[in-house]
Amino acid sequence: MEEKLLTIAEAAEILGISIDTLRRWDKSGKFVAIRKDGGTHRYYRQKDLEIFASDLMKLANDWIVEGSELPSMFYCANSSVFQARLIKMQDTLIRENIAGALTPLIVAVAGEIGNNSFDHNLGKWPDIPGVFFGYDIGNRQVVLADRGLGILATLSRVRPELKNHTEALRVAFTEIVSGRSPEDRGNGLKFVRQVVAENPISLFFRSGDAELRLKKDNNELYITRSQKDTRGCLAIIEF
Amino acid sequence: MRIELKKFGTTLISRQAGKEALAAFQSILAQAKPDEILEIDFEGVITFSPSWGDEFLTSLLNQFGDRLVLSPSDNPSVKITIELLEKTQNKKFKQA
Repeated sequence: MEEKLLTIAEAAEILGISIDTLRRWDKSGKFVAIRKDGGTHRYYRQKDLEIFASDLMKLANDWIVEGSELPSMFYCANSSVFQARLIKMQDTLIRENIAGALTPLIVAVAGEIGNNSFDHNLGKWPDIPGVFFGYDIGNRQVVLADRGLGILATLSRVRPELKNHTEALRVAFTEIVSGRSPEDRGNGLKFVRQVVAENPISLFFRSGDAELRLKKDNNELYITRSQKDTRGCLAIIEF
Repeated sequence: MRIELKKFGTTLISRQAGKEALAAFQSILAQAKPDEILEIDFEGVITFSPSWGDEFLTSLLNQFGDRLVLSPSDNPSVKITIELLEKTQNKKFKQA
């Protein structure tokens, strides 16, 4: 039996993006449509949509680098949307009993990283406000990203001596930043580090040209420089 | 006075929600007697984070000092959050 193909309008509806974006992605090769023999209309397989939406890291990274439209299922324009989806992830983790006692820690870590994006960029978003928040419970992965100012620019307000992204990440994850001016600071990334150091959870975190890796049950901080200097923050939590 | 945090929700994670919880609670706190102990009960909370905790618990600690007492909790997100808030504030919470 021939597989039923979805029209471009149906595919756009499922992904939560515009038809124009799908046309653009087809032209650029980012997400290529199917054409029936000799036809000009674009069609999509359900399976291809699922595969496209399952590559969380690529979607998040492309959003940071290109600022292209994001499938609506991953986009949290404000913190209320983020809180609601975070609670939904918590409910799924509990219902499917995948993470057991780690559940509150995974939710708290994702919550601190996502809330950091909102708390530090509110009213200062360079272009697109909000965060990317996607998770694949089966693959035990949570991905968060924002197109905000990044850790260096944010921390420089209280630590003007910081010279580069690497130093900024080290401070953000290790030093207690005391004093609550000029903005509230929860020291949430220190919490993230402690949770990862004491539990079977790992974290990849990128801001600017600095990439930090925190490994499961390990207190070491691994910070390297990436080839590209990207904006905002990208975080991948694996458990 | 016993403060059941689950009445503010089972997922206590953002600064904004912590601030709202504290503001909503001020009218009840105003009724506390001058020497009354405020006991924080974490029972029923699924996820707790430093952002919410800093807005709510740190503010109460600064307001009530030793009159603020935390009930024990097995929840790992509660334990690590309390440890971090103590380090950040360089103060200890009184444990029940």
